[in-house]
Amino acid sequence: MTKRGHMTKLRTARFALGVTIVIVPLVLALLGPLFAGEPGPRTTSFTVGDGHWLGTDFVGRDVWQQVLHGGRPVVLTALAATALSYLVALPVGLVSALTHRRWLEELLMRPLDVLLAVPSLLLILLAATVFSPDPVGLALLVALVNVPDAARLVRAAATEAAARPAVEALRMQGETWWRMAVDYVGRSMLRTLVADAGTRLTGVLYLVATAAFLGVGVAPDAADWAVMVDRNRTGLFVQPWAVVAPALLIVALTMGTNLLFDAALSDDRLSERVRGEKLPDATRTLRDGARSEART
Amino acid sequence: MSGLRSFVARRLLLGVAQTVAVVLLVFALTEALPGDAAVALAGDQPDPARIAAIREAMHLDRPAYERLADWATGLFHGDLGTSLTSGRPVGQYIADGFGPTLLLATLTVALLVPIGFGLGVLAARHEGRLADRLISSVTLAVYAVPEFALGVLLVTVLALRLGWLPPTAVGYGTDLLGHPAALVLPVLVLLSRPVCSLSRLVRAGMIDALASPYVAQARRYGISGTRIRYAHALPGALAPAVQQLARTVDWLLSGVIVVEALYVIPGLGTVLLNAVAERDVPVVQGLAVVFGVLTVVLNLGADLVAHRLAPRAAVAA
Repeated sequence: MTKRGHMTKLRTARFALGVTIVIVPLVLALLGPLFAGEPGPRTTSFTVGDGHWLGTDFVGRDVWQQVLHGGRPVVLTALAATALSYLVALPVGLVSALTHRRWLEELLMRPLDVLLAVPSLLLILLAATVFSPDPVGLALLVALVNVPDAARLVRAAATEAAARPAVEALRMQGETWWRMAVDYVGRSMLRTLVADAGTRLTGVLYLVATAAFLGVGVAPDAADWAVMVDRNRTGLFVQPWAVVAPALLIVALTMGTNLLFDAALSDDRLSERVRGEKLPDATRTLRDGARSEART
Repeated sequence: MSGLRSFVARRLLLGVAQTVAVVLLVFALTEALPGDAAVALAGDQPDPARIAAIREAMHLDRPAYERLADWATGLFHGDLGTSLTSGRPVGQYIADGFGPTLLLATLTVALLVPIGFGLGVLAARHEGRLADRLISSVTLAVYAVPEFALGVLLVTVLALRLGWLPPTAVGYGTDLLGHPAALVLPVLVLLSRPVCSLSRLVRAGMIDALASPYVAQARRYGISGTRIRYAHALPGALAPAVQQLARTVDWLLSGVIVVEALYVIPGLGTVLLNAVAERDVPVVQGLAVVFGVLTVVLNLGADLVAHRLAPRAAVAA
């Protein structure tokens, strides 16, 4: 079998594996609350059995019910944060790639370079010291720490598309900026963006879950898988299920998402290239610098 | 060589700008406090004496630019301020937590480099075969998993079910070296993500390098496979990996915070989390500056090393 055929087979296998792993936590997260029913009366903390399939948690609630409720905040916050980060990154990246005004480009991109320097979790903890954010605040924060990287990717992809002869032709035909930017450039970088959104969602899931585990953006007794892991740790010796069940679900959710997106999107040569370029940051800064210099 | 010099100059400038920005950002935190900062910080115990004490300790009655100037001058001289809750200097907090965190970070990096490179080279050598598929799939899967979920599962299995390792470092204080068994799980969990990203990068770089014309030429000369692999291909694969190594400082930091919370290790991460919980702004600010500047410096160093290893990468469009 050829190497290419081999890789395709491997990719299909990974896709299937990813779907298998992610399906349970995803269905639980999205549909769980519908089947949870009325919360029963609180009983003793950390008991096993006694009508509770997975036992009870640190304040005597049914663990299975908490599990059914606890996936939705993780998944929804992550999805919202990913969407929000593109909502900001797309216009910023597009404008800075397509503008002919050097100062505007610098004004948009330089502050982001600086933000990139601060570790993401540190930024989130800094903000948490001051604001005590709610779930919406957490989504905003996670989106904010993702904007610099997303904007740079949008800008790199848009610069590549904008340098094509087709854009020259559109410009010479006197097409509007909007038509060039959104219709042509926007469309031609769609695949790159979708591939990036996959990796970004994985990173955002990690950040949202970790922040919740550290108590940022969640109520101390919230029904949230990450909070459950944290709060039920005290009873790990007597009632491990209250910790193991949500921890397994988080592992499955993040692992499955990553396998799935990698398999679904890595067949695109372009996306591979841009994603590969994403990691060495300074090379990119430098290359961007060189490119903008070449243009002026 | 003006290209090299201008690269170094520009990169240094960016590093300085980033450091200044980190300091400004961290200072802006106090200004971002909603309403009267002292009242907001007093939180659950809003008695007038405490509010007055906070106002006094943070000099909130003086204009912001004066406080910024004072704070920045203090930072420059190594004075990070005083804690609001205990009145102890922030520097002392950092000194207390520094040992365990440094130990964890050193052990992790010391193991990360050989394991990451080893797995990457191994996978590249067997590209497309079982070893490669196994390594690639496992690293891809583990890469995305949050440390706390993985850590708590490892504790349940290795410490509680099998009883091989202590579940936490409770009772050992800062003397972790005396209890190496307590370090196994934290370091294992800290390694999980960086090993995956590093080995994937080394693998990709090695595969590219092994397929390059210069390696083909070396083969034609009849140079042995081992020598080609380690003396010719590996250096080319090194540049992106070195940069990734510096980027893992970011991950290592969030990893350290989580791992210290999970295994109850009294390091800087624990100090930071306690300060965040108590809204002890000066301590949070001091730690944030230390962490932020450390990240900036390490990234700067890695970029310079990577540039030295592969100067062409910077020129190629």
